[in-house]
Amino acid sequence: MRRRAIVLSILSSSAVLAAGWQLGVATQPQPVSQSLSQPTDAAAPATGTGGTTADGSTATPTPAAGTGTTAPSTAGASGTFTGTAAQTRFGAVQVQITVADGTITDVAALQLTDHDQKSVQISNRAAPVLRQEVLSAQSANVQNVSGATYTSDGYLTSLQSALDQAGL
Amino acid sequence: MSLRTAPSPVARVVTDPSRRIRSRRRLRNADLMVVLCWSSVAMAVALYLAYGGPAQVTDLASGLSALGIVTGLVGTDLILVMLVLAARLPMIDRIVGQDTAMAFHRRLGKPALYLILAHGLLLTVGYAMAAGSNVVAETVALFQGPDMALAYLGLGLLVTVVVTSVVAVRRRFPYEVWHAIHLLSYAAVLVALPHQLSAGGVLADGTVQRVYWIALYVLAFGSIALFRFIVPIVRSARHDIRVAMLEPIAPGVVSLHLTGHQLDRLQTQGGQYAIWRFWTGATWWHAHPISFSAVPTDRSARITVRSLGRGSDALGRVRPGTRVSIEGPYGIFTDAHRSTSRISVVAAGIGITPVRSLLEHAALRPGEATVLLRATDDSQSYLWNEIGALPGLRGNPIFSMVGARPHGLATWMSAEALARGVTITSVFPELLDSDLYVCGPQSWADLVIRDARAAGLPHSQIHVERFDW
Repeated sequence: MRRRAIVLSILSSSAVLAAGWQLGVATQPQPVSQSLSQPTDAAAPATGTGGTTADGSTATPTPAAGTGTTAPSTAGASGTFTGTAAQTRFGAVQVQITVADGTITDVAALQLTDHDQKSVQISNRAAPVLRQEVLSAQSANVQNVSGATYTSDGYLTSLQSALDQAGL
Repeated sequence: MSLRTAPSPVARVVTDPSRRIRSRRRLRNADLMVVLCWSSVAMAVALYLAYGGPAQVTDLASGLSALGIVTGLVGTDLILVMLVLAARLPMIDRIVGQDTAMAFHRRLGKPALYLILAHGLLLTVGYAMAAGSNVVAETVALFQGPDMALAYLGLGLLVTVVVTSVVAVRRRFPYEVWHAIHLLSYAAVLVALPHQLSAGGVLADGTVQRVYWIALYVLAFGSIALFRFIVPIVRSARHDIRVAMLEPIAPGVVSLHLTGHQLDRLQTQGGQYAIWRFWTGATWWHAHPISFSAVPTDRSARITVRSLGRGSDALGRVRPGTRVSIEGPYGIFTDAHRSTSRISVVAAGIGITPVRSLLEHAALRPGEATVLLRATDDSQSYLWNEIGALPGLRGNPIFSMVGARPHGLATWMSAEALARGVTITSVFPELLDSDLYVCGPQSWADLVIRDARAAGLPHSQIHVERFDW
């Protein structure tokens, strides 16, 4: 009888684990492809509170990192520049800036720390603050948001690489 | 001739079809419980797999963190299983008995604690490595996270609970102190919940995992609330049990006659026990598990107790009229759990009490029962006169074996009986065709079981009620 219990336990546990594994594999591509759309959602309130007309630019993510589509201009650089993705413990952070005549007009987060529920919460709180600070400072030289150190560091790192591309 | 093999003991069992079927069903359900238990552990791991956790493992740091998450899930799952086992679910009591369930509960304690400790340690180290900081700085950082202070509190409580339950430490405390500390485990598991839901990605908002996990919590705590608190309180209030009379039956042994309303509705089976609490100033804080020494009637019940500790000593002094609350009845030392048509009974000392009500309740015909009453000396022949007077035992042999066990020999019999060449099969010639019921001190009962097993009696036909009370 004990043997039956052991055998059944092994079978049942294996089935449960296999099902879990299958589900994990099935949902695996999603987080990857979502990693672009999901942070856009997370960044949506950021652009919303900012009041600028940046909704369009966030909705059309430029998937490849690092390629800024520079529009030829007379005074300063113009266009959108995507920073490199900065890896943090809680996920990658990647931002895209919109520049008009050498002025940063918008910062959109393409990817934010989203490893878990807490990270998403923190990201949602930190992103609008960081965006506002960057827009007013016009550089990556801004304060970290307290309680969102990793998100802030990643955000500013990615921002700096975008600024470098824009030659700002 | 020599080719014919002896029939196996099991094949020789005189089967009572309905009893056999019930017994099979019980064993199947017991197996099912084991399967459920291990499947829930697998489920905890599967939650992590379904979340896509393994894909996040890229280096040593993320590997340690992943392991930390899994140990946390499995450890918590085990603790919830432990709570369910300790919840005195009627179903679990009927299938394996509360004793067996609690033995399993105790065995899970340390593994669960180690897993939870590993959870904290692995995640701290894993995060520290990923962030390039040290363990101390990471602990400080983690502690400041939301709900994390509560989680550390839960960890501290859990360590306290398990450390005080380690046998050597447990003996230093009175039972009540230990039990009060043990109840902190409820708090430990509860305060750990917020950080699981907020800090963990596996149980994130809106996932099936979160629903399942909360359901587990509801199941565990719901069972505890219902069967450890609500049902006993309702029962005690409904039956309004009071002490009617104290009847000393031997030095240090007393029968408590109880009265109450509709006590037959407790549906107590002979051989069962309940956990009693006597509401006097000196005794209310101590709950006593005591066997029924008679099957309750509509208005009355009787329990018999020998003073084994300070607590049960005070029971001999409770006054008639004292209010009594009841948890139970519990136990599978009953006729309903018999798998054959015959019954063999061995009782020693105060172990007679459940045997007395068991034999009273059992529907026995002449030739179906054999009873052996065991005592060190004549002063221990508690209730023996009543056993002989039971109508169900008419036409069934009742033996007695009085005398001390021989020194230096591991036997359950008296020195005198051993010298005469008495064996378990000479007392119970049809032992293998019967169910053996043993009740007495643990070490003594173990020796009876050893002999019965050696004679070829399968486990499923052995029923033991140990008593430390």
